[in-house]
Amino acid sequence: MTTAQASTSSTTKKKISPLTRPSRRLLCLGIEGSANKLGCGIISHSPAPSGSTTKVTVLSNVRHTYITPPGEGFLPSDTARHHRDWIVRVIEEAIRKAGVRWSDMDCIAFTKGPGMGTPLQVGALVARTLSLLHGIPLVGVNHCVGHIEMGRQITSSHNPIVLYVSGGNTQVIAYSQQRYRIFGETLDIAIGNCLDRFARVIGLRNDPSPGYNIEVEAKKGKKLVPLPYGTKGMDVSLAGILHSVESYTKDKKYISWNTINEGKGEDAITAYDLCYSLQETAFAMLVEITERAMAHVGARDVLIVGGVGCNLRLQEMMGIMASERNGRVFATDQSFCIDNGIMIAQAGLLAYRMGQITPLEKTGVTQRYRTDAVHVSWRA
Amino acid sequence: MSSSSSTPYSPSAYYLERGELIKQGAEAKVYSLPSLFPPPKIYYPSSPSSSSSTSTPNRDGVIIKHRFPKKYRHPTLDTSLTSSRLIFEARSLARAAKYGVVVPRVLWVDDRGGCIGLERVEGWSVREVLGGGAEGEMELQEEEEEEVELYMPSSQTGEGERDVQGEGEVEEGNEGWERLKGLGVGRDHLMRSIGSALAKLHLTTIIHGDLTTSNMMIRLTPDSKTQPYEIVLIDFGLSSTAQFPENYAVDLYVLERAFASTHPRSEKLYAGVLEAYARGLGEKKWKPIEIKLKEVRKRGRKRDMTG
Repeated sequence: MTTAQASTSSTTKKKISPLTRPSRRLLCLGIEGSANKLGCGIISHSPAPSGSTTKVTVLSNVRHTYITPPGEGFLPSDTARHHRDWIVRVIEEAIRKAGVRWSDMDCIAFTKGPGMGTPLQVGALVARTLSLLHGIPLVGVNHCVGHIEMGRQITSSHNPIVLYVSGGNTQVIAYSQQRYRIFGETLDIAIGNCLDRFARVIGLRNDPSPGYNIEVEAKKGKKLVPLPYGTKGMDVSLAGILHSVESYTKDKKYISWNTINEGKGEDAITAYDLCYSLQETAFAMLVEITERAMAHVGARDVLIVGGVGCNLRLQEMMGIMASERNGRVFATDQSFCIDNGIMIAQAGLLAYRMGQITPLEKTGVTQRYRTDAVHVSWRA
Repeated sequence: MSSSSSTPYSPSAYYLERGELIKQGAEAKVYSLPSLFPPPKIYYPSSPSSSSSTSTPNRDGVIIKHRFPKKYRHPTLDTSLTSSRLIFEARSLARAAKYGVVVPRVLWVDDRGGCIGLERVEGWSVREVLGGGAEGEMELQEEEEEEVELYMPSSQTGEGERDVQGEGEVEEGNEGWERLKGLGVGRDHLMRSIGSALAKLHLTTIIHGDLTTSNMMIRLTPDSKTQPYEIVLIDFGLSSTAQFPENYAVDLYVLERAFASTHPRSEKLYAGVLEAYARGLGEKKWKPIEIKLKEVRKRGRKRDMTG
């Protein structure tokens, strides 16, 4: 039609984003509480002073994590109690850091799912209350889409294959025709769940996170013990590997923390070795299914999002794979990888700019909410 | 190739050097050779200009899959995975061929060099023919897709573009589809052929392990009356033999998912595949697989978050 259309026929295929440039600064507050992290963030989309682009600014990103003692996971009711205790303080802190007033806010985004039911309800309840108090519209956000949108924003990768790895999800995703389509995923437990549960078995601390502690201990490991390698097409199976690595801890050759520094025999298996083997095997599977998806759709870039995505070994392995295919890897640091409020705000504001508002009676939460169930109206 | 030079001498090296790299799949680099024989030197005294014409018929075409070492993997893990997959692939292909499943012939296996030589299948992948959504393999490699936020008076342009994408799914430039249409073959016919090819494979107790529309080729046959084309299953790198209905169901589920994600608009067609599959397998064998398939579907798609 206009010059914009004409330029699309040039060498690079440019799709026109359906998003229009905001006429003024738009603010969105995002609330996330689908698992043991409680987060609140405020994002702004404003028209850039020059050109036709939109400037995205993170005004604040506050998080508080519910940490359980070693050997224990987080239970829904206790996690919800933690969220109830902290949510007012977290939101107040986010507002204070951002230096904005409630009257400036254009919309409030909250996590609609997927996640644990009771903690999700806390976030939704507070969002509803704030919406009614201040007369601000609500936007319900899919947690996974939040991760993807924030990752895309931070790394400015346009159309990558997304590996979404966290405590509850393991998915390989590619965008096509206004949906994030799932190409591969775990057939049983999630990678983060697998790591967390193993950390519990060998008694690692949950502070700052079990996955991080495994990463640290794995650096001291040397021996690769054989573990099942379960890739099924573009899907993976992780339950078997967890069971298998657990059974090594009952092996006679296993050396636990108490005796780990004493002299050990040739064939001894240390907790370090198990952490190392678990990471090497499980991550190799993840990199492989990502590579399969890349080969299948012909994409070059990879974006890693989700809590496990801040594992440097995973990033390194993915980097080697991508470089062998002349591709690039995008990853973010822990402030955006681990569940946070700002990603909910980002995805919520994108939807809001497309006119998607969740009416109050539809602001219920759902524990099961597929990534591909969301209509991604803000992408061409 | 740095990767091939670092590996110890393998008998396949000669061909790898001469082959043309046609694709870097997930596991292997795929090379193509017109023939295993050196190009013949033929001299025609009458017309010297066409002396070097090597118009070898396609029947001699060779594909070499080279599983090069994956540096991201632990070397021990990589070596064992590579050799076991190579051997499984060769074994499954040989077994499938023995029972009459249409697969590429195995020409040689070089497990130390990580190479397998296969007959080259002339044709198109089912994915090409169905028009795999917006992400054409060739397309994206050439031109990186980019989204630009622009001043637009309304979102009309976006709408228009979307519609065009939907309509133009299986249209121009799709040689395979044109040829099939010329032979009077519709999509439903194609789906039925896929279903019966899978049934044939599963009757040999082989499961493919990576069924996608990219891993099925359509090859035209000389006999254009009764069966104008055949489905050739390729890429058996993740194959194994199985005995439980569960394994077959997972195999089918993988394909179902590939259909849903690669061909969002052809998802309904998949029902045709299953129908032909059930007929090919027979009631007695299909029933338990059908029950398992329903179970597997639930497992994958609506998995509980806490695992």
